[in-house]
Amino acid sequence: MIYIELFISFFLIGITSFGGMSMIPLIHEQMLSHGWMTAQEVADIVAIAEMTPGPLGLNCATFAGTTAGGALGAFAATFGVLVPTLTITIAAAVFLKKFKESTIMGHALHGIRPVCIGMIGAIVVQQAMINYSGSLLFGISWQAILIGLVSLYLLLKRHFSIPMTILTAAALGLIFCSVAPV
Amino acid sequence: MKEKKEGRVLDILLTFLRFGCFTFGGGWSIVAQIQKEYVEKKHWITDEELLDFTSVGRSLPGLMIGNTSVLFGYQSAGIPGALAALFGVILPPVLIMVAVTFLYGLVKDNVFVARAMIGVRAAVVPIIISALVKLFKAGMKDIFCYIVALCAMVLCLSGSISNVLIVLIGAAAGVIYMEVRSRHDLH
Repeated sequence: MIYIELFISFFLIGITSFGGMSMIPLIHEQMLSHGWMTAQEVADIVAIAEMTPGPLGLNCATFAGTTAGGALGAFAATFGVLVPTLTITIAAAVFLKKFKESTIMGHALHGIRPVCIGMIGAIVVQQAMINYSGSLLFGISWQAILIGLVSLYLLLKRHFSIPMTILTAAALGLIFCSVAPV
Repeated sequence: MKEKKEGRVLDILLTFLRFGCFTFGGGWSIVAQIQKEYVEKKHWITDEELLDFTSVGRSLPGLMIGNTSVLFGYQSAGIPGALAALFGVILPPVLIMVAVTFLYGLVKDNVFVARAMIGVRAAVVPIIISALVKLFKAGMKDIFCYIVALCAMVLCLSGSISNVLIVLIGAAAGVIYMEVRSRHDLH
């Protein structure tokens, strides 16, 4: 049964990975061993995941599920990758709400919140290194830097919504990169 | 009260359907979107709670964006809220992905798509920074927090230990620090 195979495969991917690019090696192995995707297709899917909203794991599940088993296949794979969220995370949510008032939890959160700030800081550095690189000018893309600065101004000073900021940035990308090569 | 909660579930579903359309950059913009909509505008949760959801969501297995949405949804409207948030946030990417799967050949090497994507990707960092600016005060209460945040950032960037471990170390450090401080205050 292709649907059960897809479900199990993506359940394994979901339960053993902790978001983002850490999923790639496992996805690679599972897709190739089942013959659902070629190595080229896995590389392509990473590129597509970058250009569509949504996390990589979900995008891979949809792509592999659709190509291997149509709409039902996509459903089986997507459901598989979401199992940890539907079980472990819901349990954690119940736990978090129940013990939020306790002293020890309050103390733990005093340490967890700055960890989160640090994590977000790390993501900013990692994403900046990927998104602002280009082939000219010491490996920096001036178009991307300029769009980044404009977006930051719009978000913080003009109180633009996030969808509006993304649409504006896409339009600026079209304009700037048509004027000069990247 | 019950009516209010049902209204909330519908609100979450519709709002997260919109969030789902704009979760570029590994899903981190979900944090900025929840901050803008539910902390600033609707006051359902505080900045502190959003930080809790983000760090817990990031350190559990599965999709960070789904986990964070579920934690928020449960806190706001119980299990129905959690399911509404999850369904809302994943449906748009799934539908877009199905479309892209069929149009892949057209989209893949299209120069206009590539140019627009340079712009979209350039907006990811400012979006995350805008969330960071607002959450900063809520997470940073004293000098201890600055040290922990700096350590966490370095550990994350080094990529040598998993996020779960970093969060657990942070939790332990918080418990020990507060315990030591409260004893110190007694004397």
